Amino acid sequence: MAGTRTRRGTGSEQSRTARAAALAEQLHHECTLLLDLYRKKETFAKELTVSGDHLVTVPPLSSQLLPNDMLWRLYSALQQCRNLLERAIGREEVVGNGEDRAQYENQKKTVRDRLGHLLESTRLLLADGAGTAAFTPEPKNTEIDGPVNGSPFALKLWIYRIFNELEHWTLTASNTLKALHPDGATPKERGTSGRARGRRTRR
Amino acid sequence: MPSLFLGILLLGLRVTESQASGLAPPQQVRLDADTEAQKLLVTWEDGRASTFDVEILRTELMEIVFNETVVATEDQSTGKHQWNWTSPVPLECTSLSVKVRSRDGQDVSEWSSQQILPGLDLPDNTDSQMYPEGKTVPVGSNMTFCCIVKEGQQFGSLLYKDTLVKETMLSRRTYATTMTNQGPSNPSGTNVVCSDEKKMIITGAVVFVGYPPMPSDLVCETHDLISVDCQWSKGRETYLFGMARQTYYTLNGRDSNMRCGLEQWDGNWTLVARNLLGEFRLTDAAELGHRVRPVAPVNLTTPEVYSWNASVGWLWKYNGYERLSLICQVQRTSHSNSSTQTYTGYGLNTVVLKDLQPDEKYNVKVRCGSQKNFWKWGEWSLPLSFQTKMDRPVAPDIWLWMDSDNLGRVLWKPLTKSESHGQISGYEVTLWSPEENSQQTLTLPQSMYSLPINVTDRWSKVTVTARNPAGVSLPANVVIPRHLPGKNGGKGRPNSVTFNGSGFPLSWVAHANASCGYVVDWYNTSCTHDCNVEWTRVAADNTNTMVQSSNFFAGVRYTFSLYACSSESTVLLERWHGYMQELVPSRTVPRLSPNQEGSDVQLTWDQIPLEHQRGFILGYTVYLTNASHLTLLGNPSPLTLPGTGLMCVCFQGTLDVKPSPHSMVHIVEDSVWDSSKEALVTVPEEDEEGTGDEEADTDEPASLRYYNQVVEEGSSSRGRPHASDSSASSTGSMDSGHTDVTYTGIQTSACSLAPMAHFQPQPDASQCAGGGGYRPQMQSASCPEDPQTGPEEHLQPPVGSFGGYQPQCSWKQDSPEADGGGLDQACLGSPTSVTSSQFLLPYDTSEEGKEHQSSASTWFHNLLTGKP
Repeated sequence: MAGTRTRRGTGSEQSRTARAAALAEQLHHECTLLLDLYRKKETFAKELTVSGDHLVTVPPLSSQLLPNDMLWRLYSALQQCRNLLERAIGREEVVGNGEDRAQYENQKKTVRDRLGHLLESTRLLLADGAGTAAFTPEPKNTEIDGPVNGSPFALKLWIYRIFNELEHWTLTASNTLKALHPDGATPKERGTSGRARGRRTRR
Repeated sequence: MPSLFLGILLLGLRVTESQASGLAPPQQVRLDADTEAQKLLVTWEDGRASTFDVEILRTELMEIVFNETVVATEDQSTGKHQWNWTSPVPLECTSLSVKVRSRDGQDVSEWSSQQILPGLDLPDNTDSQMYPEGKTVPVGSNMTFCCIVKEGQQFGSLLYKDTLVKETMLSRRTYATTMTNQGPSNPSGTNVVCSDEKKMIITGAVVFVGYPPMPSDLVCETHDLISVDCQWSKGRETYLFGMARQTYYTLNGRDSNMRCGLEQWDGNWTLVARNLLGEFRLTDAAELGHRVRPVAPVNLTTPEVYSWNASVGWLWKYNGYERLSLICQVQRTSHSNSSTQTYTGYGLNTVVLKDLQPDEKYNVKVRCGSQKNFWKWGEWSLPLSFQTKMDRPVAPDIWLWMDSDNLGRVLWKPLTKSESHGQISGYEVTLWSPEENSQQTLTLPQSMYSLPINVTDRWSKVTVTARNPAGVSLPANVVIPRHLPGKNGGKGRPNSVTFNGSGFPLSWVAHANASCGYVVDWYNTSCTHDCNVEWTRVAADNTNTMVQSSNFFAGVRYTFSLYACSSESTVLLERWHGYMQELVPSRTVPRLSPNQEGSDVQLTWDQIPLEHQRGFILGYTVYLTNASHLTLLGNPSPLTLPGTGLMCVCFQGTLDVKPSPHSMVHIVEDSVWDSSKEALVTVPEEDEEGTGDEEADTDEPASLRYYNQVVEEGSSSRGRPHASDSSASSTGSMDSGHTDVTYTGIQTSACSLAPMAHFQPQPDASQCAGGGGYRPQMQSASCPEDPQTGPEEHLQPPVGSFGGYQPQCSWKQDSPEADGGGLDQACLGSPTSVTSSQFLLPYDTSEEGKEHQSSASTWFHNLLTGKP
């Protein structure tokens, strides 16, 4: 089971964590932009919120968790996000023309690509921490495939919820990965002068 | 007991009424809903009447939404009545209760039992919903949307797009809003959003608002003479996108996109465009021969290319073109020109391009149409580039310009690209002596365009040829003019020619010996070495031309010479001088000096160098000043001293002079001659040519003073002030103990001469009060007003008091020194003065004269010293 043993983080692992944190921060920015573009496309007022029912279901990321367990849950959430995004892209019909549409479509692709990179980065961190990581299978989620009643609005709302999940989980990933990194900051934010590397994980 | 009796009575009355009308209430009322169409079908039996009252209520709030008498005939086969009602509100929004009664005039039956169409807001449907969802409607439609909130949820608001809209409560859980005259949707549809009181989206609906298709311009044509290619325009935007809502087309029953090909020529075509809002039909019909639009020619080649023509060939994609009468356009483009030629022929696939230029790169492209029953041009072919071969150049345009009587320069103009026919490699200049039957040939590089020659040698004719890799040009000849006496060719004074805004118009009398026409050359008159000479040729039958050049500049005098050319001689016919624009002289009269003998003074000065004249100098004005008194001298007689180039004016004992400390005399160039003033003699300008070597003088206004018999070195050293310190010079005069006035400028412009009239010259000199008459065409804005000048209008010389001279320029400030902005700087020219200790002219001693003199002299002193 991941996170069941104590270990000292190596320098390369810390560097990977920092890179993953930077990637998550960038991805969060991209997801925010995607959400804005979708709101603009669908003329959704920003003050309108979506249902509190989450499409992504993982156990809570408690601060009491061991880092590996946190990573494990984060990875699982991001994987669900990617599956949802893939389905959203597949379900949403590309209509219209013009610059706005092109920008929105490009942004979707950018988020999908960066999310893939973040997943891979997070998986590598897991592998370092837990040897051969045994990934949790995706939980059963009845909403994973989207609405089936053919309602155009239900589909739009489902996509909107997915983009909100993306925004939420990439922010969570950014914060979690920063917290796991000994300096608590991305490489860009840190100075070049060395601080004590490595961090002992708690049992 | 009484109440029971009342009840029985009322029941008895109702039975009596019902029985009295004879109308039975409708039975088995049934409701069928078409929710998509929002239609409610009501059917019932046993109503023998043909009119019925129908009442529809919203069940939950018991609000009547419909209560009218309707006509519903009985279906003979089923014995049922049926009536349709279209609800403005989606039928799912809330439950509806319907009851019916028969009516016959005023008689009505009892109401039927109430039938309820259940809405989706019943408690067992707990989810939130919005209706209608996903509907496609035409632009301008009115629609009512309803939001059914979840059980236990609190309604908040409804938004159409991002606009908050007013809602109406239809039931405990249902709220509705009606949108009128809806505009076109976004590509993904218009959203209607229902939110709770916490702004959380509860549910929503999408409506797609657009237009039915309306394509246009269906055109079918053939390219291969067999098959059909039909195209059309999409027409008005439908605003409907996506697989379900986009427009689909069929052409003669076959699905197609915006363009459709059919294998055979049908002759009639029908296009049907459909979307969810409707369909549109277009038709076209034509014979094949009337709709031939050839494809673009391919594989363009140039089988033959020469200097002046070339052939261009191409291939056709379809064999059927061999029998097709074609009309083709060939567009050829060179570096600066583009032209299109048209050719015709059966199966045309080669043409000859004529009138090409040698050594020129061409791009050609071809397109064709059917010559018979022309329909449309086909597409242009891909361009083909080729370059024509070189040819020998044309003969250069040559001229021989005489630097002096003995030295000349053979000049020729560079050949243009269209004249050189290839890269020029050099020129050959041949000097001929037919008498001695000898010649001398010089080869010059391509960069040279002139050759100096000594015309006193035996040569009498010059030939120039140009060479390029293709050969040598025909020779261009010019006969060396043997005799050019004097600068003017013995033709007297040059005439002046006036620039007319675009050029110098020259005209002359036809010359008998001008078999090869005339040549007009021109150059900067003051130029002495390696002058830039330009020339133009005029046909023999012309006797006028307009000389134009981009090299003309203001303030520069140009000499124009007209020659008659023949194979035997080149004869100078006439000369002109002219300025593109005259400017004020740029320097003072040089070397002004007095020579006093007793009471007589002789003034001498040099001419202003030509390059400083900047306009025609037509005379000089001599002023005498002593103390604060300025007087225009009358009848001076400028003379040119033979052989010296010096000018002099002699004042002899006829002048009434009185003792005075000393006086100054000022000489001002006068660019306009007042013909009425014979005493002021202009110096003919041609006499001034070649006097550009008087460089001993500076450009500063000179104020020479002399003291008869008592010449003091000290005062003399102060007697030549700089232009920039006129006040200092005045101070210097004061220091010397004299009261002479030194001034630095009296200009002959209107703004300076008008004030001078304040001085009211002596009676015998008053005829000169016109200020020498010079009055250039002045831009008033360039002459600042001086408040001390007083009313000028009555001081202006009368119009027409000037001589025949018409200045060629607008008077404007042009010298850098004059940019300072002061009156003296802005408007005054360059006087030169000498000072005499003798009285040359008396004061006006009258009281009136004193008064006038006082104010005038004060003004003038201030003017000259630059004081305000």
